[in-house]
Amino acid sequence: MNSVRLQHFLTRNTYLFSLLLLAILLSVNYSLQDNLFELRVLNNSMRTLLPLILLAVGQSVVVIGGGIDLSVGTMVSMLVAVLVKLINAESSAADIALAVLAACGVGIVAGSLNGLAVSYLRLQPIVTTYATSFIFSGVALLLLPRPGGQIPTELRRFYAQTPYGVPLSFYVIGVLLLLWTLIRSTRYAQYLFATGSHSQAAYTSGVPVRVVRFSTYVWAGFFAGLAATALTFSTGSGQANIGDNMTLDSIVAVVLGGTRLSGGKGGIAGAIIGVMILRVIRNVIFFADVPTWSQTLVNALIIIAALAGPGLFGLVRRMVKK
Amino acid sequence: MTLTLLAQGIVKRYGGVIAVKDGHLEVQSGVVVTLVGANGSGKSTLSKVITGVVAPNEGQLLLNGVPVQFPTPQAAKKRGIAAVYQELSLIPDMTVAENIWLTNEPLLGGISLRRGEMRRKTQELLDLFAGTTSNNLTPDTLVNTLPPDERQIVEILKAISSQPRLVIFDEATASLDRSQVDRLFELIRQWKREGMAIVLITHRMDEIFRVADRVTVMRNGQTVGTVNAADTTDREIVQMMIEGAAAPDAGRMPQIDTTAPVRLEVRGLRCGRLQRADLTLRDGELLGLGGLQGQGQTELLLALFGALPYAGTVILGGKPVRFRHPRDAMKHGVAFVPGDRATEGLLLSRSILENFLLPSWQRYGIIHDVESARQDATTAARDLSLVYSTLDAPASSLSGGNAQKVVIGKWLLRRPKLLLLNDPTKGVDVGAKAEFYALLRQLTAQGTAVLFYSSDDDELLGLCNRVLVLQDGLVRDELSGERLTRENLVAASMGTTHEQR
Amino acid sequence: MNLSSVSTGIQRSFPFVRHLTPPLIALLLAVLLFFAGGLVKPNFVNINQATNIVRLAAFLGIIAAGQTLVIISGGEGIDLSVGAIVTLAAMLTFRYTNGNNGLIWWGFVLSCGAGLAVGFVNGLGIALLRIPPLVMTLGMTGVVQGTILVVTQGEMLGAAPPLMAKWIARPLVFGLPGVIFIWLALGVLMWLLLNRTTYGKHLFAIGTNRTAARLSGVRVQQVVMITYMLSGLLAGFGGFILLGFSQTVFLQLGNNYLFPSIAAVVVGGTLLTGGMGSYWGTMSGALVLTLIDSLLRAMELEQAYQLIIVGIILLALITVYGRQRSLRQ
Repeated sequence: MNSVRLQHFLTRNTYLFSLLLLAILLSVNYSLQDNLFELRVLNNSMRTLLPLILLAVGQSVVVIGGGIDLSVGTMVSMLVAVLVKLINAESSAADIALAVLAACGVGIVAGSLNGLAVSYLRLQPIVTTYATSFIFSGVALLLLPRPGGQIPTELRRFYAQTPYGVPLSFYVIGVLLLLWTLIRSTRYAQYLFATGSHSQAAYTSGVPVRVVRFSTYVWAGFFAGLAATALTFSTGSGQANIGDNMTLDSIVAVVLGGTRLSGGKGGIAGAIIGVMILRVIRNVIFFADVPTWSQTLVNALIIIAALAGPGLFGLVRRMVKK
Repeated sequence: MTLTLLAQGIVKRYGGVIAVKDGHLEVQSGVVVTLVGANGSGKSTLSKVITGVVAPNEGQLLLNGVPVQFPTPQAAKKRGIAAVYQELSLIPDMTVAENIWLTNEPLLGGISLRRGEMRRKTQELLDLFAGTTSNNLTPDTLVNTLPPDERQIVEILKAISSQPRLVIFDEATASLDRSQVDRLFELIRQWKREGMAIVLITHRMDEIFRVADRVTVMRNGQTVGTVNAADTTDREIVQMMIEGAAAPDAGRMPQIDTTAPVRLEVRGLRCGRLQRADLTLRDGELLGLGGLQGQGQTELLLALFGALPYAGTVILGGKPVRFRHPRDAMKHGVAFVPGDRATEGLLLSRSILENFLLPSWQRYGIIHDVESARQDATTAARDLSLVYSTLDAPASSLSGGNAQKVVIGKWLLRRPKLLLLNDPTKGVDVGAKAEFYALLRQLTAQGTAVLFYSSDDDELLGLCNRVLVLQDGLVRDELSGERLTRENLVAASMGTTHEQR
Repeated sequence: MNLSSVSTGIQRSFPFVRHLTPPLIALLLAVLLFFAGGLVKPNFVNINQATNIVRLAAFLGIIAAGQTLVIISGGEGIDLSVGAIVTLAAMLTFRYTNGNNGLIWWGFVLSCGAGLAVGFVNGLGIALLRIPPLVMTLGMTGVVQGTILVVTQGEMLGAAPPLMAKWIARPLVFGLPGVIFIWLALGVLMWLLLNRTTYGKHLFAIGTNRTAARLSGVRVQQVVMITYMLSGLLAGFGGFILLGFSQTVFLQLGNNYLFPSIAAVVVGGTLLTGGMGSYWGTMSGALVLTLIDSLLRAMELEQAYQLIIVGIILLALITVYGRQRSLRQ
């Protein structure tokens, strides 16, 4: 591979560093927890991880497009409330499908609100989505003043399936990656990356920047719907703030996955890897018998170290150049 | 299919500022029109109205006699109108091929990108400039790794790729080197024969006569006339541009005092593209740096200012120094005027006062003595005959020439002993240039040593007593006295030292 | 266009309000909101209520001071660790003084020192390792919270010195609590820092254009470092002051001030993109946010409606002057 191609490859596949990190962490995890890859354990972890994975995928589309969405967590809370309202222990498959469609639909509407404000009113994404997050929390609380809800037991069993010995989550991830590869080869993807990398240049080149930006928030809303669905299926009930803490995790996961926070560089594979890294760090800490009260600190220090990795690399390179 | 585009009565206001007050431009298929005018005369704005980037307040565009409106650049592009900007429309994180075909990608079944096809067609376009670019310029190269001249070429090819009927080149030659400009002009003549309409915006007089059929001149936001290139002279065009005032004559510096102390001595300096530079500069001397663009001149200046890491020896005022930050250089009386005012020279949204004093705040105490700071800035503004409303107005309110005065003025407040200039008159109008030359003369008379890089050969020939010509990161020749001629300058910049004694 | 499209819009329609800058709009809005409160609830408008609102706004305002500096510094500058630092500082003072008035000064030093240390690490990560400020300070939030857990082992032991409540939260002079005077003094100091010191000028310079600043001799990374350290220090100070009011410490104490501190800065007209802003704008912003909160409380709405209304008002406020430049010129 010549240097141009290599450079090209590295720019396109920003998650390689993260993949390496995940591999290292996984092997540490495995050495501490030898049943890590047993189907039951793996399925359990992946099942609880899928909501954040879905949310981080949506977040990464927004970030690649040059924005950020601080409302996705409260959006999940709101959409879980929608689902819990529509589903009960006796719901039929058709009812459930309708409920999921409704959740994704409301997610798309909520995302459109963000998209309109950021893209057409030209408001700063950080404060805008912070402001809308209040609205979504409020709606969540209106819909679900008290924790509760029930889902059919078949549904929980369905979500815990492992067809051909592979957890359902992996099929979902596979479909996501396949779709992303397809999208990556469309004009839309070119527009998305161009908008995130240099919006003025993209606009001058004739890219419909506003539409593209708007669409990223709609994607985030849609994925919040999917995340809420996964969360409801795995917990079986809801409360009005169940997703609130997922926002910041989704951003950290996106960045850990090698996506550039200022836009124009990255992909959803990175986001998926990022979420797994966050989880594996927690596993390692748990199985390494870190004292309870130190776990948060150790967890945060490892994340800081992971974030600092590429930076240290760059610093050393700058020093050598000097 | 032929095309006639007529823009008439175009008006564009930004708040209270009128950028264009009466813009006219006409161009047809098979014709090259150059649009010239001093800085701030409105030619860029007028061209952006035509390409749909800027929305005009008044006036109309007629395409083949039919009124049209371009609410977006896409709309103009659909009608066959494309523009080449100065690096404005490239996406840094995308490849050359992706950039060229952005919004125009060849698709399979209307959905999937045909990357192979994109690569092949890009290579065909790149071949147009074959021999004038480096090997690094391939369809898969990321644009952010390209030097400015190659980015400009990609920009040109991008505009051409959609096979437009009208192309506007907005100072597209400014960052190209000589061989690239020559190639571009060959191509322009060819495209013209093929029936393309071409508008060329330029600051370089010689380019007008090399390719233009007609010259349209703008002054203060108004189109003041259009003449046939064959029937006019550069003097006449300059007259139209500056309204009555005579074209300035740079006038060489007086012979320097060879007994004056050596201010700067550079031995074996190496920095990025610059492979080796040796030079000696005395107090009161103006030493020119010449050659094609991007031969290491900028690196030399930035290294001397401590803004780039380097290897080699720098002796300043008899003492060896090694600067790691511009601040270190400033403490030793070194000043640097960058070429690009908007991105390197000014804090556009901050006040003129703050721009003047940015390097000097320390001297006004822990809690600033604002009154004396303001007085110093007022004095500097007066000395530079700066045209401004108040010192508290943002720097963005200044015209090009006046903005550059502020960039220089902030260093004059520190009375520099060594002044480094990186193509300071690029995009500055004729009148402001003359004032700038007078200022340089005054500074050298006071004993300031000046190292002056210019991409304008006339400027070097007119102003300097001694010029170092760089090529491929090496000092190819040192020209002075009898040997300082245009012929030698060109020869050395092309890498052949022309022996003519 | 940059500063504020609306203020120019208003200026065009009403030439006499030429000097209506975003901070002034925020201040006028605060006054308006206060009297609007009178319409909703007649006993809302009185001197005690006004004092109480300014007192509450003071805590937010002090905590948002560092945030103002960080946001002005540009480069996507933001400090998400202020909330955690506030809690850390309050916890340290709470624990160390253990209600002992004689140790207040040491508590003060400990609070500021801890904040400074966290800010230093933030600065290292951002200036040296080029980690985006958002994720760096978010990561440090975890570190600080983890540190709090390690130190406390889950038990918030200690007490607030009685003297702190007296000086900070209770009426001190003319019926006004000390925190208002502290806030005003901080306002003067911040004004001096931003407008009359070399650091302030360099801060605005790096927020506007880092290349131009560097080529004018500004040590950009150093200014960035100092800015995050100051932000940490001021958040630490904010935590110390807050303890005088809260009298108790819990893990989420400072968290409630994190996003409001950013909102106060933005509502006060400081550009999130950097290079433009003021602390007195932030002070006005803190007043506006506190008033909205108090008003909604006074209206005794359900929490769900309160949240929705806050969201809509915030959206409206940033629509008024948080707009970015259009791509089409």
